[in-house]
Amino acid sequence: MTDTTTSGRHARQDKHTVALMGNPNTGKSSLFSALTGTRQKVANFPGVTVEAKIGTARFENSEITVIDLPGTYSLSARSPDERVATEALLGRIEGTPKPDGVVVVLDASSLDRNLYLGTQVLEFGLPAVIALTMMDVAETRGITVDAKKLSETLGVPVVVVNAPKGRGLDELKATLHRTLHHPGKALELSYPEDFSRGVDTLHVNLCDLGVELGFKPTRPEALRLLVDGAGPFFEECEEVGGEAWTKQFFEIRELAGAGRSLSMVEAQTRYGAIGGWMRDVKQTETREGRTKTDVVDGILTHKLWGSLVFILAMGVIFQSIYSWSGPLMDAIDGGFSALGSWVGGMLSDGALKSLIVDGIIPGVGGVLIFLPQILILFLFIAVLEDLGYMARAAFLMDRLMSRFGLNGRSFIPMLSGFACAVPAIMGTRVIEDRNTRLTTIFLTPFMSCSARLPVYVLFIAAFVPEMKVLGFIELQGLVLFAMYWVGVLAAIPTALVLKKGILKSKATPFLLELPSYKAPRIKAVGRTLIDRGGSFIKRAGTIILAVSILVWAAGYFPHSQAVDDQYDAEVATAEAPYDEATVEFDPESADPSALLPFYEVDSAHEARVAAFEEELQDEAELETAIAESKKQRNAEMAKLAAESRDATQALNDYAAWKDLNDARAEIENQRAGHHLENSLLGRAGHLIEPAVKPLGWDWRIGMAAIASFPAREVIVATLGTIFNLGGDQDEESDSLREVVKDAKRADGTPLFTLATGLSIMVFFALCAQCAATLAVMRRETNSWKWPVASFLYMTTLAYLAALVTYQVAHALGA
Amino acid sequence: MPSQTLDKLPIGATATVLDVAGEPALQQRLLEMGVLPGVEIKVVRFAPMGDPIEVKVMGYSLSLRKSEAAHVQVSA
Repeated sequence: MTDTTTSGRHARQDKHTVALMGNPNTGKSSLFSALTGTRQKVANFPGVTVEAKIGTARFENSEITVIDLPGTYSLSARSPDERVATEALLGRIEGTPKPDGVVVVLDASSLDRNLYLGTQVLEFGLPAVIALTMMDVAETRGITVDAKKLSETLGVPVVVVNAPKGRGLDELKATLHRTLHHPGKALELSYPEDFSRGVDTLHVNLCDLGVELGFKPTRPEALRLLVDGAGPFFEECEEVGGEAWTKQFFEIRELAGAGRSLSMVEAQTRYGAIGGWMRDVKQTETREGRTKTDVVDGILTHKLWGSLVFILAMGVIFQSIYSWSGPLMDAIDGGFSALGSWVGGMLSDGALKSLIVDGIIPGVGGVLIFLPQILILFLFIAVLEDLGYMARAAFLMDRLMSRFGLNGRSFIPMLSGFACAVPAIMGTRVIEDRNTRLTTIFLTPFMSCSARLPVYVLFIAAFVPEMKVLGFIELQGLVLFAMYWVGVLAAIPTALVLKKGILKSKATPFLLELPSYKAPRIKAVGRTLIDRGGSFIKRAGTIILAVSILVWAAGYFPHSQAVDDQYDAEVATAEAPYDEATVEFDPESADPSALLPFYEVDSAHEARVAAFEEELQDEAELETAIAESKKQRNAEMAKLAAESRDATQALNDYAAWKDLNDARAEIENQRAGHHLENSLLGRAGHLIEPAVKPLGWDWRIGMAAIASFPAREVIVATLGTIFNLGGDQDEESDSLREVVKDAKRADGTPLFTLATGLSIMVFFALCAQCAATLAVMRRETNSWKWPVASFLYMTTLAYLAALVTYQVAHALGA
Repeated sequence: MPSQTLDKLPIGATATVLDVAGEPALQQRLLEMGVLPGVEIKVVRFAPMGDPIEVKVMGYSLSLRKSEAAHVQVSA
């Protein structure tokens, strides 16, 4: 670059866009990463569920924008997802730059089949360079590919690359740069005469239609349309051209085939040409024995061993998202509670404090809490996909899933759904077929996720008696098990209706390449994790946060001053009989108080009790330990009090403070409950009471159900607040369980019965009360249609099932 | 030439594809994946539940369901 002057440099600086195309499993993604490094972003295509990555590669002074299109085996387009590759190649997608050239990635170890797509792309005539990957894999299989001959045969430059090792990248960029400035000719294959004539006739016909279509179709596109005779482009033409066009189209098609199917003509022409080229380009030396992949597959897809490995692998994946993510989630949860109380301590009471402490902080925490599960699931998916095991897993499970109109690829997302639907829905990306993917996304929320567990635990512990069925099965456990089946049983007919009805897909072919096993690339796995985590936070996180804040506002406003005044007065009345030292005592305050030593002794006792409750299972043992601790506390307090007369007074004050504090907490809980009842949420609860009455609910349960829209488990805390226990209740808490048992309706009858409990559990098993799931669904399907449909369908189903449950259970006297 | 369908071949058998039929989407997909007349195909194994089957074709491994393989005519 010594000859570059400043002005010359400026003149030579140019920008280009190229598309990266190839079969799946060709190393296309690693090539993309190697070319663009970290300078990449995700491009969403409107109306489809697939996405492409866009990055920038630099070569000398030029900047090359690289679009990594989804891997495909062919350009034939029967669904919008498949059509995207062609549209992007032709630069017809809004917001995505039009490619000036294309890099065709070909796997040398499977060159014939890779060239099928290759010939399709080269026919489009864009300046093209072939990147030949997997030369090392080919070699171990005894295949030698002559890159130079391949280049001469096709009339396209060929560069051998090994992206993970960084080989051939500079040469690829240089060749690309040269080709973009001096493009070659489009590839021409010799089709049978009737076929070629058909393509020409259709091309002329399409050009006439072009004005109305809004673009000028190319000849290769006419070829695609002629052969495919279906798909989004066909439908577009039908719409624009009307019946007359359709009639004409099928006439042209009839003549072009001359009695043969056009797919057959196309495939035989392409593979015929490829076979001819390969005689010069490729040499295969028959190797004795089996490849490593064959040996490994002998075990991993074996009837017995393969199944065992599979069950073990699934067990590990499920365990890790279900429980190993627990400590991380607890840390996030704990961190945000601590942040909440710390921030809360610095703000004065009011709407702003509540917005931050009860709205924003838990909202952000509610988004981040999903990260551990997402990252863990995608760690497994990325490693297994890279390894080549995902295809085997699909191979093993296809029979089972095909009964429900799904395919083997649906299994892992569905299984993950039992832990959490959010990562599971993101995991449906492994499903190539669009309709199967949409069906799987729609069904995943029916799997009973871990957020439903608190609801089950609370109501089962409160209403299902501890007894054994048939002498050894715990009834409580049985009910819990049944709750998990409720979702599965609802999902099965839903799957069949979806596949046969709404998505109307005939059994889509499930042809699956079983790629050779490869070592996972750590960098690529890391990038996938960052990608998935980041896109969840950016795209779904914002929606989740917004919903959390909206629901907070509905539970806060209108915050009546009169209610506050009433409770302030009650607090004043409660404080009146006590002296100042008692009323003003604050253990957190920096002011030394005579009461503090007693508080510390008492706190130590409470900490011991909490520890015992955690450790000791035996009731009698626990009681003894608590009594011991109490004795120790009393002794320590007596010792402190004996030191002086002031100290004796302080002990009395401390005892008084404790009573007062309980009274104050009680008033505060009542205040919170009162505000909640008065709030928009409370009013909404009253409003829907007539609708939820047949489910055995009252306005409080209705309100808690609405409030749990951001996340199901919120129902537990909301019930805590409305029953004046404060919002920090969890499903294990005895006081909440007792209150739930004792709660009465206006007429004095118990609010909760076994029938009500079952109805609430069934409702939560089936409802879509999870903003995160709906937000992720929106993100993955690229449309609001699916989350809205899912919400309406699941809520209706949940309502009806809860209705039947309550009415039947009630009639049976539960 | 005597023929049978691909789903009926035993494990380990090698045959030549004679014809590929089926509903247009299936036929096209099979052809694109390299299952076309004149090509040699070998049955490698069945999945543990008996379906799908794994075949070797054009030097790579392909999994397809028996119902799909039934549309592929092969030499006996």
